Order: sequence, then structure tokens, then C-alpha cells
Amino acid sequence: MNNNVKKRLYFFLVSIITALIIGKFIFDSLKVNSVYFFSPTDLKNITEIPNGIIRIGGMVKIKSLKKKGNQYSFIVTDFKNDILVNYSGIKPNLFEEGQGAVVEGRLNTRTNLVATKILAKHDENYMPKEVADALKKTGDWKKNYGK
Amino acid sequence: MASNVANIILILSIFFSFLSNLFFFKKKIKLSINTFNWSSIFTFTSFLLLIFYFSSSNFSISAVYENSHTLKPFFYKLSGTWGNHEGSLLLFILIVGLYGTLFTLFYNKNITFKSWVVFFQNNIYLIFLIFLIVKSNPFDLIIPTPEEGLGLNPILQDPLLVLHPPFLYLGYVGFSLTLSLVLAALVTKQLDSTWAKVSWPWVMSSWVFLTIGITLGSVWAYYELGWGGYWFWDPVENASLMPWLAGTALIHSLLVLKIKNRMQNWTALLAILTFSLSLLGTFLVRSGILNSVHAFANDPDRGIFILVIIFLITTISLLIHTFYSSNTTNYKISFFSKENFLNINNLFLLFFLFIILLGTIYPIILSALNESISIGPDYYNTILAPFAFIFLIAMSIGPILKWSQNIRLKDTYFLLIVFFVALVLSLLIIIFSKQNELILYLGLVSSLVLIFTILFEVYKIRYKINAINLSRLFSHLGVGIFILAVFLNSYFSKTKDFEIQIGETKKFDNVAIYLTNQNIFKINNYLEMRTDFEFMENNKIFTLNPSIRRYFQPDQITSETSIKPTLLSNHYLVINFPDLNSKVIGARYYYNFFIHGIWFGLILIIFGGILSVFKKRI
Repeated sequence: MNNNVKKRLYFFLVSIITALIIGKFIFDSLKVNSVYFFSPTDLKNITEIPNGIIRIGGMVKIKSLKKKGNQYSFIVTDFKNDILVNYSGIKPNLFEEGQGAVVEGRLNTRTNLVATKILAKHDENYMPKEVADALKKTGDWKKNYGK
Repeated sequence: MASNVANIILILSIFFSFLSNLFFFKKKIKLSINTFNWSSIFTFTSFLLLIFYFSSSNFSISAVYENSHTLKPFFYKLSGTWGNHEGSLLLFILIVGLYGTLFTLFYNKNITFKSWVVFFQNNIYLIFLIFLIVKSNPFDLIIPTPEEGLGLNPILQDPLLVLHPPFLYLGYVGFSLTLSLVLAALVTKQLDSTWAKVSWPWVMSSWVFLTIGITLGSVWAYYELGWGGYWFWDPVENASLMPWLAGTALIHSLLVLKIKNRMQNWTALLAILTFSLSLLGTFLVRSGILNSVHAFANDPDRGIFILVIIFLITTISLLIHTFYSSNTTNYKISFFSKENFLNINNLFLLFFLFIILLGTIYPIILSALNESISIGPDYYNTILAPFAFIFLIAMSIGPILKWSQNIRLKDTYFLLIVFFVALVLSLLIIIFSKQNELILYLGLVSSLVLIFTILFEVYKIRYKINAINLSRLFSHLGVGIFILAVFLNSYFSKTKDFEIQIGETKKFDNVAIYLTNQNIFKINNYLEMRTDFEFMENNKIFTLNPSIRRYFQPDQITSETSIKPTLLSNHYLVINFPDLNSKVIGARYYYNFFIHGIWFGLILIIFGGILSVFKKRI
């Protein structure tokens, strides 16, 4: 092999290795930062309880919202299964009983989530897409929810 | 009646657009250009009509009924025109036509080239016009005419949001002309430095408009959403950042083409990429595939239609590029030359673009497999940060290098001194603030290197005002200040949730917050509960008045933030809707450090861009 070819070969190898390392870095980061969404029924059926940050969604059960100082607790339901959510902090304006909600946090037990975030909505008709899908799965979707 | 007039005008504009194509193929060039301009005028007229219907609350038009209300202030009746899917699409088409028409008015050198530009622009225009009439006609009627409209989402009723969509569109859509210019140059084999000079102001002005549009959106999100931040890596925000990154890469490769007559094919590819990403942004935002304040249309057909349009425009452009692009010769260039650093710039910008694209569409791809995920902001922050440091350093070195030469010895010394100063200064900041974070340190060093290099450049050539590339200095200094501010803001800001009653005082660090009063007012189309907070910081007292609004139509509650800017920071307060039977108000306080630097940096970037549009030299 003459020098030129050698040089190119090295360059090629180094670029491949760099690309692989960067690629691994990207996909690891993508994996770590993926927040999975579950409906209450999903969590009931799942074999292994996820231990990272997750999102759950459904309707906020009527008469389930309790408040003590800035500690809130409420039940998120898809009309088949329920999850009890504990949250401390500021309640978004549009978060109310009988409305759809998406909550982010960690599972304490299979049916209890400690929330770090209640996702804000932009208007009163808005139904999170995940919640709509979750309700459609259990058959409790009403046409007027979406619009 | 109203609808008929408007529809006739729209049909006329389609007809004239067809005629323009016909004349082009018959080689009647002048007629082709004129008919295109007529079509563009008709679209403009129909848009004026839509504005008129919105401002006169003509609820027989469905777009007006769905997005307006008689009680709404006049200003927001106007902005309702583009605050919805149909109206904004008409604005989109209007701007495609406007850019084409302006080009025909300003460019008169080569008539063949001009006619090709108009031809390509006309076809982009025509595709969207057909989409408008078939799938989202803003002039659809409602029978019987409703008495009252449904109203516009209150968080869109904001002066900045009146300007945000038109500016964003002037940017996005401006890149349609860039694409037409590139395609025309490929077909007529004129993709060279003369072409680059002709195209420069058009590309730059689109880039400036896009930058302004994104900035307005960011400022709006900062004070209106009440989340204390200016950027959330929301897919919709990413949708506007992607064409911006591609466009930024494009202007840098266009620079090489303009001065050294190289990188023709690459520049052409970037132009295609930039407009395709603008369209992808439109698709992501408009198809309803993402949950967002921007997602007006939840009609899947529209999404598919836009997807088909993107596919068509991109494929045809790429085919033209493949058939007409000329062979390029390889140049040998040294590592420390200006050309090479411009290559590095492109490489990094496209890498950033790829990361953001991946994070944006990965959840969409997974959702097709019935898995629902979202990507947290840390994905972007952790991956982009390390590369951003290298990018900033390269950005400091690149501009002081010479074309086609190696680095000069005195520049090396100069750079070493700048590095040394930045390293020491950052270390001092770290030590005194007790924030022992490597990422913060690297962020400070790299942005300070950029800032100092530029300041030193200005000092060096202070007597030769004509020799200075002012636009580049302003924009790059803006980037340096922006990144510096981003790092300072994210490491030195604080947030605190609390509950408070009238007469109560809360203390955090060196701030005391006292709630003095709360009142309810009725204003136009909403009720407002306004609170009076007194803040005491280091013996200085100021008031903040965050409020809650309840809009009547649609019935919706919004929080209005209250912000007190001080020399180095913002005190930012937002309150919560109080529970009934409770006097306690929930509030969130943000101490936003050096947020001014972010806005100031962006203003400098924009200012540099504006200078560049009007630059006569080279």
C-alpha cells in the first residue's frame, strides 16, 4: 500500500469509529430521556412496573380532588382502572375534576403515582391525544371530548 | 354573497396562475410573468377581503365564525384572520406570490433566468392554492348564519402573537423564492458567484424574518405561558428551529459561493433542504399530529395533503439538482483556512439539525407503532451542549482566518491570549458563584472566547470602518452574548412555589414578598382578578400585579404574568386560579437571571442580518 491509500484508510476508520461513538451517545440519550405514557389499564396489565419518570393520563375522577395546603391528591381514571396521584405545587388553571389530564412523575406502587408535573393545557376543549387514545381503548370515548 | 365574491377572486387567481404556466411553455415570457403577477394581486385581494370579513364579524363565513367574536377587541379581530388554519394558509400563499412579484419588480438583468424563477415560484404557489380551494377554503359558508362567533383562544390574544405568524411566514415562505432561484440557476446553468450576489438579499431577508418570527414566539412564550422559560424544546418550536439551522448553514455556504465561486452543488442542496424543512414545519404544526397551541387542523386529510406536497416539491427539486448539477473539482485547502472553517460551520449546523429532527420525529414514528412517548428537554441539552462548545470555538477562529491560506502566526498568538483570558475569567466566575459545574465552565469559556475575539477584532480595525464586515460582527457577537446568557440563566435562576393570603409576607433568600390587595375588574371580553404584591429586595421596594383572567367566549382562564426587570435579572410572578371558598392564592415566583442577555443577543443577531441584506460591498 502506498502512503496515500494508507492515509485514506486511517481517515476512513477514524471517521467510522467517531460516528459510532457519537451515534451510541445520541441513542443512549434518546433512550434515557424518553418518557413513556401509560393509561391506568396499561399499568394494571404490565408485568414489570416502570421505575423511571413516566406519564399517565385519563380523566380526573369527579369528587376525587383533595387539597391540603399545596398538597393535592386526585384519581386519574380511564373508567376501567384508577391511579391515585399525589402532587405538591401549583395547580394549572385548566386542571379540574371531570376533565382530561396528563401527569408526569414516578410510580410509588402500581396504583399510586407521585407527580412532579401536571401538564398544562391550552384551552378548555383540548383533550390530550394520549388520553383520547387511552379512552378509546377502554371504549369510554365520547365524540364531544375532542372538539 | 360575501363568500361568492371571494371565491370568484380565488378562482381567478388559480386561472391566472395556470395561464402563467401556459405562456411559459409557449415561450411568451413577458405574458407569463405578468399573469403570475396578476394572480398574486388577486390572492392579495382575497386576503384583504378575509380581513374585512373578520373585522366586520361576518359570521356567515365559517372561518370567521369559528375564530372570532363580536366582543373581541378590533385589533384581535384583525389578527384572527391568520390565527386559524384556513386564513394562515391564505397568508402563506399570499407571501409565496408576494416574494415572486417583488422579485419580478427588482430583478431585470437576465430575462430567461427571471422567467424560470417565476415559473418555479408560480408552481409552488399553484400547488398550495389548489390545496386551499379543495381542502381548506377560508370562504366556506355556514347556513344559516350564526348570531355569534366562537371566539379566539385567549392566549393568542396578544400583540406579539399578532406579529409572530406573519414574520414566521415571511421567513419560511421566503425560502420558496430561494428554492426557485436555485432551481432556475440549475436549469439555466448559472449557479455561480454572480447568481449568489443576486440571491443574497432574498435569502438574507427570509433568514432575518424567520429569526424575528422565532424570537417573537419565544418572547411571547416567556411572558404569556407563565412557565418562566423562553424555550421548551416543544416539537412545534423545533419545527421552526430546523429550517433556521438549515438556512443559517445556507447563508454561510452562499458566502463561499459568492466570494470564491465554490460549493455550488452543496449550496443548492441546502436551499432545497431549507425549504423542505420549512414545509415539514408547516406539516408538523398544521396536521394536528402534535399537541400544541398551533395545531389548528385536526383533519388527517389535510396532513396527508401537505405531506404529498412536501414529497412532490422535494423530489422534483432533487431530480432537477441531480440532472443539472455540474461536476465540481476538488480543491486542496489547508485545515486553518476560512473555507475549511465554513465547512465546519455547515457540518455542525447540520449535526444540530439532525439531533433536533431525530428528537422531534422519533416519538411520531413510535406512535405509529402504538407506543406513546415524549422526549424530555435533557435529550437536546446533553447532546447539543458539548458540540456547541466546539462550534463556538470554531466560530471564533473561522472569521479571522484568510481564504485559501494557513493561519498567520500573529493570529495564533492573539487567539492564545483570548483563550487564556476567557479561561481565567470563567474560572473566577465559577469560584465566586460557587457553582462547580463543568458544563457551565465550558459554556462560559466558549462564549467568552467568541465575545472577546470579536471585541478585539473591532479594536484592531477601528480606523478602517469600510473594511469591517459589520453585519457578521453584530450577528456573531449576538450569538456569543446569547449563549453566555443561556448558560448564566440556566445555572443562576431560581423558582419557588408558595401560597399566600392578603396581609401575609413570604421570604426567599434576599426577597420578601407581601400580598397587599386583590380586586376584580370587568374588561371588554373578560373578568380580571388582579393582585397587588409588594416586593422588597435589598431595601428596594417595587410592586408586581399578576392576574387571572376569565374570558367569556370561549370560556377559558388564563394567568397573566407580572415581570419586574432589574439590571441583571427579572422578577417574574404568576398566580393561580384560587379555589372557591378559599382566600389563599397559589403563586409561583421565578428569579430569571440575565434573561436580558438572551433578548439582547437575539436583537444583535437580527440587526446583523438586516445590515447584511442592504450591504453593497462584494
